[in-house]
Formats: sequence, C-alpha cells, structure tokens
Amino acid sequence: MKILAANHTKTALYGIRQSHWRSLLTMLGVIIGISSVVTIVSLGEGIKHQIVGQIDNLGNNLITVRPGSIQTNTTTGALSFLNIFAGLNDSTLLNIQDVKTIQQTPGVRLAVPMSIISGPIQSSGQLFDTIPVIGSTADIPAVLNQTLQYGSFYSTNDSITDSAVLGQNVANELYPGDSALGHSFTFHGESFVVRGVLNQFDIAPLSVDADFNNVIFIPYSTAQQLDPNNAPLYEILVKPSSSSSTNSVVSKIKSNLLLAHHGEQNFSVFTQTDELTAANHILDLLTELISGIAAISLLVGGIGIMNVMLVAVTERTQEIGIRKALGATSRQIINQFLTEAVVISTYGGILGIIVSVLINLGLRIVTNLQPALSWQVMLLATAVSVIVGLVFGIMPAVKAARKDPIDTLRYQ
Amino acid sequence: MAIIELHDVSKLYGFGDATTLALDEINLSVEEGEFIAVMGPSGSGKSTLMNIIGLLDRPTYGSYSLSNRSVAKLRPNRQARIRRDKIGFVFQSFNLLPNLSVIENVALPMAYKGMSSVRRLKLASAMLGRIGLEDRQYFMPRQLSGGQTQSVAIARALINNPSIIIADEPTGNLDSDSSLLIMELLSEIHAMGTTILLVTHNSGLTRFATRVVFMSDGAIVHEELTNVGEIAPTFRRNSYGLTVKTVEDDLAGVSALMKVIPDITPAKPNKNKKSNRWNKKKQPGRRRK
Repeated sequence: MKILAANHTKTALYGIRQSHWRSLLTMLGVIIGISSVVTIVSLGEGIKHQIVGQIDNLGNNLITVRPGSIQTNTTTGALSFLNIFAGLNDSTLLNIQDVKTIQQTPGVRLAVPMSIISGPIQSSGQLFDTIPVIGSTADIPAVLNQTLQYGSFYSTNDSITDSAVLGQNVANELYPGDSALGHSFTFHGESFVVRGVLNQFDIAPLSVDADFNNVIFIPYSTAQQLDPNNAPLYEILVKPSSSSSTNSVVSKIKSNLLLAHHGEQNFSVFTQTDELTAANHILDLLTELISGIAAISLLVGGIGIMNVMLVAVTERTQEIGIRKALGATSRQIINQFLTEAVVISTYGGILGIIVSVLINLGLRIVTNLQPALSWQVMLLATAVSVIVGLVFGIMPAVKAARKDPIDTLRYQ
Repeated sequence: MAIIELHDVSKLYGFGDATTLALDEINLSVEEGEFIAVMGPSGSGKSTLMNIIGLLDRPTYGSYSLSNRSVAKLRPNRQARIRRDKIGFVFQSFNLLPNLSVIENVALPMAYKGMSSVRRLKLASAMLGRIGLEDRQYFMPRQLSGGQTQSVAIARALINNPSIIIADEPTGNLDSDSSLLIMELLSEIHAMGTTILLVTHNSGLTRFATRVVFMSDGAIVHEELTNVGEIAPTFRRNSYGLTVKTVEDDLAGVSALMKVIPDITPAKPNKNKKSNRWNKKKQPGRRRK
C-alpha cells in the first residue's frame, strides 16, 4: 500500500499542477477555513501574552476599584466582563471620600483617584477634541510602575496647580518634533504648562484600562475646580504594601467601602488577574464564534473537494478502466482517489497556514496586536485538513472503484 | 491441457425489449501456447468474447474456466488479481496513461502487485530494452509514434509474465510498417510459449496465428488450424460473405437464443441476406411482441 501511496501522491500533485486554477478554487474553502481558525487562535494567544505582559508591567498587585456592581464570583465569567463596561456608565460614581477610606485600609500603600474631565484642548491655535484629561494625584507613576521620560511629575504639595504631564502619544501629537517640556495648552479656559512626559506604556488590546499613552494627567485638585460636578471618579487605583497580600487587601477594601456606602454594593474591586480571566472569556467566546464560521467554511470546502473529485472520477473513467484491466483492485482504486482528495485538502490546509502567517505578519506591522503562531496549532490545522480530505474524498473514491471495468474501458 | 475453456457462454446486454444478444452459446477451448486469430465483422461479438476471457466482463450464461478453475463467478477483486498476474491486455487505442512516463506505464501492473519502486522500474527498463525502446524510457506517451506506443503497451502487458495475451485489434490504429513490427513482437512472445488471442479485421495477420476463429452474430461460425506463415485459406469465404439466416428463419420465429446454424456454402449476392444480418440485433425484442 505504501508503495502505491507515493505513486498516487505524485499523480495527485501532477493533477494539481495541470489544472492549477481549478485546484486553487477547490481548495479555497479549506484555505479560508484553516487560515481563519489559525489566525484567530494565534491572535488569541498573542493577546493573552500581551495582557500577561501588561500585568507584569503594571505590577500584578494593582487593584482597581470601579463604581457599579460586578459579580466577579459568578461562574459565568463572560458576563462579569460585560459588567465591567456596565460599571463605567453607572450613575453613582466614586468620590474622593472613597479614596480616603481606601487609604486608611490596612495593607494599602497607595490609592489614587482617577477622574476624566471632558473638553477640548487648545494648543498653539489648534483644537484637540479626543484627548482625555485625567485628574489624579502625584502617586500615579508609582501606582502604574512608570517613570518619566523627561521632566518631572507634579507633587502633592505643589503650589502651582496648572501643570500637566503628558502620555507619550499625546506629546507627539501636540508638539510633533519638539520637546513638550515648557509648552502650554488651554483647557477649560485655564492655561496648563507641560512639566513632564511619561515613558511608553505597554497596553494590551482588550484591556479595560485606559491607554495611558493617550492621556494628559493634571492634578486632582485642579480637576475638581474645573469640573462643575466636583470631578467624580471613574476608578481608584490601589497599590498594596506587599504583593503577597493583594487578595486580603481586596477583601478589606471591599468591607471598608461597604461600610462607608452604608451596606450598598454599588462598587467593585478587582485585580489584574480578574481582568485576565475576563479577557480570556471574551477571547474564548470569539474563538468559538470564528471556529463555528471556519467549520462551515471547511464543510463547504469539503463539499467542493467532493464535487471536483466526482467530476474527476467521471473525467478519468477510461483511466480507471485501464487501471482495472491492469489488475488494480477496488481498494487500490479507492486509495488512489482518496489520496488525491487528501492531497488537495492538505495542500489547501498548508496554503491556509501560509495565508494566516501573512495575516499575522500584517497585523503585527499595521496594529499593536502581536499574534503568536504555535506549531501545535499548525499541526492541528494540517490534521483537520487531512480529515476533511478523507471524509469528503471517500464517496467519489468508492464511486470510482464501483465502476464496471468494461464500461470504463469503452468510455471516451 | 486447455488453458481457456468456454462452455455454452452467452452474453446478453440490456433487458426487456432492448435485449441484445452479444454472444450466443460459445464453446471454445484454447490450448496453452496457441496463437488464435479471431476474425469477423463489426458487432459479431469478438470484443465481448475477449472481455469475458480477460475477466473484464461476466457471461450471462455458461461456464468459463481458466487453467481448469472456474473463474466467471469469482469476486471482482479476485478477478483483478488474476488479470494482474495471468492476463496481459493490448488495446486498439493503446490505453497508456498519458500523465505517466513510458517506464512508469510499463511498471504500473507491478505496482499493483506491491513491488518496490526501484525494483519495478528496473524490470520495466529491462522489458523496454527487450522491445528496443530503452532510449524512450522517460518520454511521455504523447511523444511516441503509434507503433512505439503500441510496443510500450505490449511491454506493459508482458511485464507480469502473463500466460495469456489478449490483443483486441492491436494494429487497428497503425500503419502497415508499424503493424508488422507489432505482429513480429507478438509472434516472438508466442514463440516463447505465451498463449495469444488476437482480434483482427486484417486477414493478412492470420499468417502469424496457429488457429483462426471466425465469428458472426455472436457465434463462432468456423474455425480452422493454420500453419504459421500462411493466411487462412477459408478467410474470404467465411468472414464477410457469410449467410447466417434466411427470411424463412425469421418467419418461423426462431428464439433469440437459438443456435445460429452456420451455412458454409459460398455466399450468393442476395439482397435479403444483407439486410437480415444488419437487422439481427433488433430481432429478439421484436419477436417478443
């Protein structure tokens, strides 16, 4: 059998070369199916790596407190992730009093308020609408494990209230080709002087944290004066004094805040690990969805292969007759056509992997996504394409083997 | 010992009103080492007979033994193995596989035997050497002349050392020089002891045969032994001008399977007889009404 397999493979490859357009179109379903599965899986893996990297950068002991209730203890984690977004729109926001409550909790080293003030920024005659301005305290670089590229951060006991620190992308946008230091911009009628620029943050896609590369930090006290609503907080970032005590600190913060909120659970406390779990859930959901579509594509591709193989069996009726006259058994004919179907589908699978490698490359170049392609995924994709060939090739192969030698020889 | 033994073999195609009688109770016994030329007009059942002997087709009635073993009722795969090991086919249209090279075509029957690639290519090369085509081994079939192509087909038929070669009009598509080449090749093979069954329209080719069988309307109407090198003397009389039926037969409503009685008297130019012969195939259905 294995002696013939080499022969059959050679014949199949010859056939593909002979009618390359037909073969390519036949393979298209398999190519699309395999490439989409491989791409989405490697994308998911890449995003997971990036989130882990981000957690490592921000420190895995970073605790986030948000307004709104999140059921982090439910078994359906995917829902809890959706609640994180729901929390952002909650009307009962946190305030500076909550920051104080958290700061007084034992085990907490730092707690910083985060408040987004909306409004356009005017700099050297230009208006910028989309840059978020965050009012926060001087502890923010320590909480986010970040240092300044140049300049200095405003300090808590600063007498100058109108100083600002820029994220790197904002600095490049506002003052391209120039050091941002010492430049000024107008926000809510107030003139701010740039005191420093932060280093680049590694922000993972699908992260619920804001992209701090694109924000301007101003002192929280100034933000309170600018905002008529007294600058409500969209989140409070907390750093415990030791990373091993993160979980106990989380539960202490919860109980203290619950007390301060008169027993009303209108806030949520979560760690970076919770965020990773939530991201994993959404990625799994996405992978399942794309896999479903890919399965349909593979089914269609398989039917395409079956169709082309049926045509090939009819086209090559005479060849089947000759082979039978020379002593080929039914099994040998089945093997021949099955090998051809498998060669076509495997060829398609390999092309699909190549396409997904190209897509991955493109994504790495164009976006900040970093898909990770593993050999296990490629092996699995190849195996799946072989199975597609076997499943959809068997019917035409049996049809070929069942042909009557006398009819096949007479066929022109 | 007879290598091929056919007893009352009939073959019917179709069913109901469309039934066609292709072979009508053929009895034929072929000894080992014979070179039989089968002659007869188109549609006389020569090819059907060859297909049945070559195990490509099954008789509707009758028994067929190959080397004293009844084979007609064997399973298809068993028949395939007998075709592979004992029978070599040579076709009028050559039937080489166009996408395989000459040497791969010759080696193909050995592949079905499970022989390793190196070994079968070596044997195929030796076989091509025997027929004088060693310098064409890696040509594709389309690059060969008709005579060369048919020689390759004969090499392929011989590669598994079959005891029987069935050649169905092997020279039908060839010019006379190539035909001669092919016939000399076949006669060499015959000289080495292989049994050969040759279907031909060309009476000249009977000079290579040891026995000539004439068929008409699905029956063997005449057979005679000939010496190698001699054209069958009764050829003219038996092949084309033969009267097999008269109007009286039709009127009497003879059954479809009734044995055709050969009339070996020389043919007379008679309008009825010609039309009878062409109409023969439709008769079984017509009579049923």
